[in-house]
Amino acid sequence: MAAEISKVMSVRDAISKFVHDGDELVIGNYTVGSCAELVYEVVRQGRKGLTLYSQSGIFDVEVLVGAGSAARLVSTYVLRAGGKKGGSAVERAMNAGTLEVEDYTNFQYNARLVAGMHGFSYIQVLEGAMATDLFRKRSFLGENKYRVIKCPYTGKDQLTVPAANPDVCIVHVQRADKFGNAQYWGALGSVAAAALASKRIVVSCEEIVEHDVIQSSPHLTIIPAYRVDAVCEVPWGANPTEVLGYYNIDQFMYGLFLMMDGTADGLKAWMDEWVYGCENRAAYIDHYVQKFGSKNLDGIRCKPYYSAPANYGSAFTSRWDKDGRERAIGMTLAEFEQTLKERGKLYE
Amino acid sequence: MSKPYTLQELLVIAVAKEIHDHENVILGVGLPTTAGALAKALYAPHATLMMESGIIDFEPLLPLNHIADAHSCRGFSYATDLFSAFTMTYRGFVDVCFLGVGQVDKYGNLNTTCIGDYYKPTMRLPGSGGAADFISYAKRTVLTMLGGNFVEKLDYFTSPGYLDGGNSRDESGLFPKGSGPTMLLSTKGVFRFDPVTKEIYLAQIHPRVTVEDVKKDVPWDLKIASDLSETPRPTDEEIDFIRCFAPAMSAGRELAMELMIANLMKQSKG
Repeated sequence: MAAEISKVMSVRDAISKFVHDGDELVIGNYTVGSCAELVYEVVRQGRKGLTLYSQSGIFDVEVLVGAGSAARLVSTYVLRAGGKKGGSAVERAMNAGTLEVEDYTNFQYNARLVAGMHGFSYIQVLEGAMATDLFRKRSFLGENKYRVIKCPYTGKDQLTVPAANPDVCIVHVQRADKFGNAQYWGALGSVAAAALASKRIVVSCEEIVEHDVIQSSPHLTIIPAYRVDAVCEVPWGANPTEVLGYYNIDQFMYGLFLMMDGTADGLKAWMDEWVYGCENRAAYIDHYVQKFGSKNLDGIRCKPYYSAPANYGSAFTSRWDKDGRERAIGMTLAEFEQTLKERGKLYE
Repeated sequence: MSKPYTLQELLVIAVAKEIHDHENVILGVGLPTTAGALAKALYAPHATLMMESGIIDFEPLLPLNHIADAHSCRGFSYATDLFSAFTMTYRGFVDVCFLGVGQVDKYGNLNTTCIGDYYKPTMRLPGSGGAADFISYAKRTVLTMLGGNFVEKLDYFTSPGYLDGGNSRDESGLFPKGSGPTMLLSTKGVFRFDPVTKEIYLAQIHPRVTVEDVKKDVPWDLKIASDLSETPRPTDEEIDFIRCFAPAMSAGRELAMELMIANLMKQSKG
């Protein structure tokens, strides 16, 4: 590692430095392990005018839209609390005219980020959607929501979507090192593409681990250090959603949220208590335990089921064997240097 | 005579029977995941269960909270990403997928996006998620409609069924030949699609339901199978599996929610 700079900082500093008003902000997590604390901090710092990307715009989107942080939403799936009788922050904001929504399918949304991640300007998606209102009804992207081109090889019409390169990705993972190598496992979804397509990346993690842990399990690293701007250690950072190997979904806290999210007043009261009322995740957990005891949280901690270790070992780690002889040439270093001299290879 | 069962249990079993042994299956959240677990346990032990989040070949031990729920199983065989889950569907490796329905029309076209105007919705529904792409490219699609409606015209066309009926889906050139929805399950019966006209018809009717009950939910003159039968009574083995695996599913959403909220209130009072 050329520049061994630690990127560890507080969530407050990370959001303050890397998430700005009017940014295109992408939620890195998909359905599971939502970066709840990073989202809460964006709201606490009162960010406005965001164009929000969220593959599955459920908990995270409700909080950001409910807080008035997002002006535009690109998504494939949104939450509705309380079924037909209920509602959602997204529905309320659409009707109030404060939120524009661009709908895609899961694949199309993800494909935009995959194109962005690889530096392409657009990407082919599955043409079946041309028969639908997804194709016909467009919001703020207008003509650029989709374009149809002719395949130069088959002559067939192809549906395409433009690449997305959001300004900043916020994402929660299981573990990272201080340089930013971020490891995530479980439902891979679109997490890597969301992060790697983005210009800046803020990672929160359940724990910061030694670099050696990362080096011995590189198959779990989904974002490499050189792309990451900030690393924040936030235990319980995804509660009330879940993190594989750390804790399950918190049905109790999620249930409280769903009971309140159906109305604007309900969501505001919930956010006053659990978002604005807690200055950081430690304060949130303290408040939780003070109010409801620790039984809920203790009950959802994961029991271990470890991945079988993959052996990254090698037969040897030096060209010189235990007798000090080069493995292929069979000479000691002194003999080798003598040979180089005799053959006229050394410049005096 | 097998033991008493709930309607919800009957529905799960009807869906589970659409999964055949050795098939590759994309499961959606809710009823289909319980149906997948039941099928894997009783009818289709070699089925490969998959979810669009990239969890491939898993054996659920708990009902799933959502389609990225790796906490509900003990590991799984193949961890891929969402992009690859859809491209493998596009390439024809998925035999059957399961989708929920907000509105459905005569030819199995679906709306899961909104009720009323798209830009100022009376009710904003979830959206496409994976639905539009899965029903386009899976060989078969099974539709579950627990709260939705039959309509003449969709408020929003989210996912393509048989388009305008007849050969129109195949002739559009957008979809694999022969693909499309094969069955729709509602709380009143099992519906299938005419092989020629592609119009939906009632194939089986659930106990305690009359044909008139079904017809009054459908704004056109619904066709009824000449060999209309009653949805088969569940066996004890099927009932026991569902009740143990997913008791909330046996209770149905409303009762399960009521019981859960009562328990939440009790807990929050300490």
